[in-house]
Amino acid sequence: MVLADLGEPPVVRRTIRDRVRDGRVIAPIAVIAYLCSGVYVVPADQQAVVVRWGKVVDSRVPAGVHWTWPSPIARVYRLRVRETRRLTLGLDGVDPLNRSQFLTADRNVLNIRLVVQFAISDPAAYLFRAQDVNALVANAARGALAQAVAARHVDDLLTTEKVAVQERVQALAEATVVRYECGVTLLGVVLDSIAPPDDVVEAFRHVAAAREDGDRIVREAESYANGVVPVARGAAAQRGEEALAYNTQVVNTAAGDAARFSGIADEYAKAPRETATRLYLETMDEVLPKIDKTIVGADPKAVDLQFVKKP
Amino acid sequence: MVITRAYLRLSVIALAALLVWLSTFTVSETDVVIVTLFGRPMRTSADAGLHLKWPFESVLRFDRRLMVYDPGSSEFLTKDKKNLVIGSAVCWRIVDPGRFFQTVGDATGAEMRLHDLVWATLAAAIGRLDLSDLLSVDPDRAHVQAIGDRVRSAATVETERRFGIAVVDLQLKRINFPEQNKYAVFARMRAERDRIAKEYRAKGEELAIKIRAEADRQRSQLLAEAYRDAEKLKGEGDAEAARVYGQAYGRNPQFYKFLRTLESYKKILNEKTSIILSGDSELLKLLTQGRVPDGAR
Repeated sequence: MVLADLGEPPVVRRTIRDRVRDGRVIAPIAVIAYLCSGVYVVPADQQAVVVRWGKVVDSRVPAGVHWTWPSPIARVYRLRVRETRRLTLGLDGVDPLNRSQFLTADRNVLNIRLVVQFAISDPAAYLFRAQDVNALVANAARGALAQAVAARHVDDLLTTEKVAVQERVQALAEATVVRYECGVTLLGVVLDSIAPPDDVVEAFRHVAAAREDGDRIVREAESYANGVVPVARGAAAQRGEEALAYNTQVVNTAAGDAARFSGIADEYAKAPRETATRLYLETMDEVLPKIDKTIVGADPKAVDLQFVKKP
Repeated sequence: MVITRAYLRLSVIALAALLVWLSTFTVSETDVVIVTLFGRPMRTSADAGLHLKWPFESVLRFDRRLMVYDPGSSEFLTKDKKNLVIGSAVCWRIVDPGRFFQTVGDATGAEMRLHDLVWATLAAAIGRLDLSDLLSVDPDRAHVQAIGDRVRSAATVETERRFGIAVVDLQLKRINFPEQNKYAVFARMRAERDRIAKEYRAKGEELAIKIRAEADRQRSQLLAEAYRDAEKLKGEGDAEAARVYGQAYGRNPQFYKFLRTLESYKKILNEKTSIILSGDSELLKLLTQGRVPDGAR
């Protein structure tokens, strides 16, 4: 419009078209547009690895907006580095049942499900050092498990050694994974499930029941002992107390009797005849009223005993 | 004129671009590259980045990442003639791309060769061991990892020399009895469980009997000791009493006899007693004769 006002519109229009045809306008625009396409965004939960001409030039690009050379010069790989990755090995349908079976040191078969958790520690190594990192981690854990289980008895595995096995598997698998240098760290290994195969699980339950029985029998015996011994101890204490009581009684009675005798004997020493007569008569006072008496003459040589018989 | 010049310029640019394209190549982080001249290997490069070459040279790429190969499970025989199903995982990578290219070519070919070699080496290794060398609580005998390592180092010598492949790791990830042996294995496991169950019960019984016997013994001992102590105490009491009596009565035995006799009368004579008293007895003399005994004043 402005140019039209200047009165030379055809010349201007042709010039622009020529320049476009020459590429002097479109080429810079294309170049700028191309360079702009190198802008990329890394989300908050991710990190990026930038590869230029096939070579890693930046292995840890943080979250945010960045620029690099566009394709095909450079390529950007985004990774969720903070995410914990989880692999479940065995019993999960993908893995046929006998694949999750392991042999123990005492030649028993156990079904074991293992959960492996790992995280990316080196994004560039994770991307470019191994073809299938999950398979590497899974095999390392499985190999470690096979070895750990082969060195333990089935009863220990099912009861006390579970945690120890877990730690052993983790240590072994970790060493293997470190050796692979595939950019991951093992965070943990969990024996998710460990059980005898279905065909023999009943027999294992019987053992558990038998162990319970054994414990119960022992507990019953202990309760018997706990009943018997204190009762005996009580009876013993009672006997002791009774003996002590007898002892005290006998000794004190003796002391009392002796004191009394001494008293009367003193009296007797002062007046033997009178005391003796008094004691004799006092006794007769006490004794004779209760009894059946027959008094006969002064010469009792012939007494008809019929006569003295009680009515 | 103008058009021909423009075309000329364009073709120069295109030619230059083609020349650049032909004389450069990139090596990815995952690759190792052989530069060949009419099929003849000239040099190898594992340096990631942009490289130069002659335009008529061509490039062969090989994956140099760590690969996992699962040869599947196979049956092996131990020295003591036990069948075992062993599954392994082989980690390998190309270390000599030239040899790899000449002898193997691609990953599938590599896996075929690895399968044969690993199987043969593993079979030989297992055949030299008893089952108890694999399965044992003795850490010096549990050889699972050791066998993996041994097979790996034996295999890798061969594969590196022949195929340009390094066997980086070999894990024995599956050790099991063959499916057809499972029935016998389970029967043995069940029998063993039964034995252990019986053992638990028997041990419980044994311990219970011991506990009961111990309790009974304690009871007997407690009662016997109590009896012993009690009798001793009583005896001591009796002795003491006898001593006290003896001491007291010893002062006047005659009088004691008299007094004690009177005491006995009190006890002996009761309602059932009949007594015939003579009229001239000491007690009744006064009653029958009516006079004061001699000596009374």
